[in-house]
Amino acid sequence: MVAGSSLGAFAMTSRAPSRLLLVNLAVWGALALAPLGLGAWQVGQLAQYFTYGLFAMSLALIWGHCGLLCFGQAVFFGIGGYAMSLVTLGMVPGLEAAPSSYLGVLCAVLLPAGFANLLGRFLFYGKGLQGAYFAIVTLAIAVVAERLAINWAYIGGLNGLMNVPPMNLGLLGGGTEIWDSVPVYYLTLALVFAVYLLLEALTRSRYGIVLRAIRDNQDRTGYFGYDTAGYKLTAFTLGAGVAGLAGALFVTQFNFASPPLIGFTLSTEVLIWVALGGRTLPLAAFLGAILVRSVENVLSETLGTYWLLALGLLFVLSVVLFPRGLIGEIIHRLTAPRRGVVGRNAKPP
Amino acid sequence: MEQLFILTLDASNFILAIILVAMGLVIIFGLMNVINMAHGELFLLGAYTVVMVERLGGSYWLGLVLAPLAVGLVGLIVEELVVRHVYHRFLDTILATWGLSIAIKQAVVVAFGPASHTVSSPIAASIEIFGAPYPAYRLFIMAVALLVIAVTFWLFFRTAFGLAARGVIANRDMAACLGINTRRLDRATFAYGAALAGLAGAVMAPIMSVDPQMGLGFLIPAFLSILVGGAGHLAGPLLGAAAIGGTDTLAANLWSPVVAQIVVFTMAIVVIRLFPRGLAGRWFGG
Repeated sequence: MVAGSSLGAFAMTSRAPSRLLLVNLAVWGALALAPLGLGAWQVGQLAQYFTYGLFAMSLALIWGHCGLLCFGQAVFFGIGGYAMSLVTLGMVPGLEAAPSSYLGVLCAVLLPAGFANLLGRFLFYGKGLQGAYFAIVTLAIAVVAERLAINWAYIGGLNGLMNVPPMNLGLLGGGTEIWDSVPVYYLTLALVFAVYLLLEALTRSRYGIVLRAIRDNQDRTGYFGYDTAGYKLTAFTLGAGVAGLAGALFVTQFNFASPPLIGFTLSTEVLIWVALGGRTLPLAAFLGAILVRSVENVLSETLGTYWLLALGLLFVLSVVLFPRGLIGEIIHRLTAPRRGVVGRNAKPP
Repeated sequence: MEQLFILTLDASNFILAIILVAMGLVIIFGLMNVINMAHGELFLLGAYTVVMVERLGGSYWLGLVLAPLAVGLVGLIVEELVVRHVYHRFLDTILATWGLSIAIKQAVVVAFGPASHTVSSPIAASIEIFGAPYPAYRLFIMAVALLVIAVTFWLFFRTAFGLAARGVIANRDMAACLGINTRRLDRATFAYGAALAGLAGAVMAPIMSVDPQMGLGFLIPAFLSILVGGAGHLAGPLLGAAAIGGTDTLAANLWSPVVAQIVVFTMAIVVIRLFPRGLAGRWFGG
């Protein structure tokens, strides 16, 4: 199976990429043209879902490719969101005069990444935490983080931070604010697409192959001489940075940062999006988030309390029957060459 | 002195309550290597069984007897429909049972509404301990927990079933080769673990607010107890719950419940990282 999938990865160069390229063109093309056919409110809504999609991609990287089942990914999303809010609201001591969006984004990426790096150094090295232990520890961290956010008056406590300004083009703030839904939409889409290309390149590279090798069999990868803890650490750090960026984009659109952003519930929601979308392809995870949020938006009013019941059962069904995820399965059927397994979207073990 | 005694009683109470929940979890985890995220919801179902029995005019005690039976049956169904299909995919058992927990919780909301219910305490009397009144029902809970621990240890260390179960824990393939029906054992274990969760829910219902969110509050401390204590040994949750519950009660009395939760969770994470096999694994080599 392992040999088969790595062979498949090389065989991919022949036919499969062209079909995957078509799928990509169709998806991103449709997203680029979507504002033409949608009202302003729907465009704004979709732009917000993009930030969730970006968040989902960050989890797909560390879970789908590296096998780190993280139940606390929202901690990084939340730190990013709060960092962006504090900087652009001018609440950071010494930086009151420069509520710059650029600086905010920078902090929103570096702070979660730095935190994840420290946490990873503690958790992965030495005896190291495996599978379920990692899941439960991250779950506990998410609960603690939410508790801290609720009880920390500086970041607004239970009420959170309100009136977070939108993206601002001025270098030190004070320039043009991007309010309208269409510019916000394209700005978000461009950033998400850039990160998507980065993650695509990364998961196709040699680095990505090693990550999947660690996911499939950590011990064996270690015996081959790879520094497995180091690989996990970089992936975890990078994933946290991407989640932080998603959090920053989210608060500029939502204009509001509150403790649920950092907590346990959002952490589990993103798991559901990624599991339903597909954990092994960034595109599938991204679409999974958008799909679940959109369907929720439409159905939650008609179905009421039954919606969450249906989502829970669908989630169980998808985990048991479609480990590639619903969208991942569709993409797999569309793009897989007939003769065998393809490396990146191979069935997760 | 008197205050110290009450504090000790409170701590023991909390510890034994965690053990009630953790016992089922550790049996399922030890035998089947399944992290049952729906355990909190099985606890929830136990509490709601009592609510339902009382609503239909039955007494609390009838509910207490029916709860483990009903929830054990749910466990049997869940094992058959979901868990057995993902045994071999370890991380997916976490996800599948997590999805189940969402579905069960939401089914309870649909059936009983999101509001909280109260179950009146069946033993209203309080007992004077060192001159201070202490609710007798809490002593009853402690007695039930001790009984459950005793029965479980007896079951696993003194019966043929327990011998087979420990054989499967030690080496599943070898046990299967020796003619132990692992499939039947898995089913029985999951149902027993679920029944314990149901019993815990029913026992705790009178001293908690019975609402759809009550499961999670116990699930996380129970998980942390298992990991801190060591998942490989039946004594693990006893040690772990003592560490978690004791620290929590102490910190909550010294500072506040919020600080207590943060201190306990942080302590647990550090202990899990330093001793991945838990305190029991370190001391018993188990």
